[in-house]
Amino acid sequence: MFQNRKEGLALALPAAIFTALLFLLPVGMLLSEGFKVDGLWSMQGYIDFATKPLNQTVFLRTLKLGFLVVLVSAIIGYACAFCIVNLEGRHRGRVFGLIVLPLMISPVARTYAWIVILGRTGIVNDTITGLGLSETPIRILFTETAVFIGLLQLFLPLMIISLVSAMENLPNDVIPAARVLGASWFKVFTKIILPLTKDGLVIGGTLVFTGSLTAYITPAILGGSKVLMLETLLYQRVNVANDFVSAGIIATILIIMSFGANVLLKRIATARD
Amino acid sequence: MNIKFASRLIISLTLTFLIGPFLIIILAGLSAGDFMTFPPDGMSLKWYIKVFTVESFRESFWLSMLLAVFGTICALILGIPAAYAISRYDLPYSETIKTIVAAPIIVPGIIVGLALLRYLVVPLNFTVTLALFMAHTALVLPYAVRVVSSSLNNLRGDMEEAAVLLGCGRVGAFMRIVLPNIRSGVLAAFILGFVTSFNQVPVSLFLSGPGVRTLPIDMLGYMEITYDPSVAALSALLAFLSVAIVFVAEKFLGFSRYV
Repeated sequence: MFQNRKEGLALALPAAIFTALLFLLPVGMLLSEGFKVDGLWSMQGYIDFATKPLNQTVFLRTLKLGFLVVLVSAIIGYACAFCIVNLEGRHRGRVFGLIVLPLMISPVARTYAWIVILGRTGIVNDTITGLGLSETPIRILFTETAVFIGLLQLFLPLMIISLVSAMENLPNDVIPAARVLGASWFKVFTKIILPLTKDGLVIGGTLVFTGSLTAYITPAILGGSKVLMLETLLYQRVNVANDFVSAGIIATILIIMSFGANVLLKRIATARD
Repeated sequence: MNIKFASRLIISLTLTFLIGPFLIIILAGLSAGDFMTFPPDGMSLKWYIKVFTVESFRESFWLSMLLAVFGTICALILGIPAAYAISRYDLPYSETIKTIVAAPIIVPGIIVGLALLRYLVVPLNFTVTLALFMAHTALVLPYAVRVVSSSLNNLRGDMEEAAVLLGCGRVGAFMRIVLPNIRSGVLAAFILGFVTSFNQVPVSLFLSGPGVRTLPIDMLGYMEITYDPSVAALSALLAFLSVAIVFVAEKFLGFSRYV
């Protein structure tokens, strides 16, 4: 540890000043636009924003999809992490690699695939009409279901990674011990696995939730203007209506929600002790 | 049903869900027909070849490439000294500095792009390319600092102290002792930054203009007008590129230690 504080500051400040001036300052100015009406400070923008039915729908939909994606990815994630941890070394590395792989690929490519699968002439609809389950193709694309599937595929790896690393720290013999002593699998999960892996769940949950809130491509391609989410609504308000008050408000909501999710999940995790 | 079978089934289903769509994209790009379908209409490489002849794809590919390379280099130039100061110096306000540098991670890209457009490009006459470059640098910076810090924390500090005591200047000690030892961490940070920057979309949604579009934005635009398999082919090629980079990095650097 070097004691020369000035030298330390000289090394660290360029990065901090760069981020503060060219990044945080403009973002802060954008957020402040939500609190202004015609150049004067006012909460009127928020009141107008909150009373519009469209905005309410979009806000609730974004929250709902975020929670759903966290919930479903946690369920799949636990099942999957449990299986991965029990694989022997060589296989474990390979499977883990395949799970991480999608994270390195462009979200445009990842989302585009779903058009081919869920579209009118996509695989799902071909199967449905081919089997005679429905005369006409059903609409999956541009529904909440499509956005949900896209988000789940995008963020599931983050949940699995977090849960696998949490489960690896689980002592080997606690689960067999509980089973021998007569605990059901449900009890093993709620009394042993869940409390001991909650840190991983909190990290994974935060990553998945904030990811789902702030994803743009997936709702844009799979939801379009029929299933607006906060991000796509922001884009539309600015591009169509030049409405920077709404843009500032949505930006503030997104940042607060990301922060809030983090804090809340940490609370839940520590409260269970 | 035995447990081993159930566990294989769960893993295969999850992998099908995660990887399957890419296989479909790769195959859909191989179609000989004019529209996206699966299974593809016959087989041909024509869409994979066509991708290289589309002028706008070529231009946006180079823009994305330049942004990713130079944005990441710039982030490292700012980030390595910051990481060094954070891990080796008794730094005043170190928590504040860490928070500021890490902040870009939690700000959604679309907001960043809009803010830079509205407050730097429009009133201050920054070019869109410069603003894009700054946004990419700021977005990669947190990763650069994190990865280089973790690499510095694994390196014992007394080596540099010994070098300084033996008469090597502080800068010399950094160049001759520290840098060679954190080389793989720096490379890992570069690759992580490159992939993050190259795949970044929302930042450039607002930050694009005539002739200045990053590749993902160009692909989004192309998809809105046409439904031919060239975007599938391009997506597949980009996926191969990313995977190849990460694979090579993992092989030579043990990349996953840093992420």
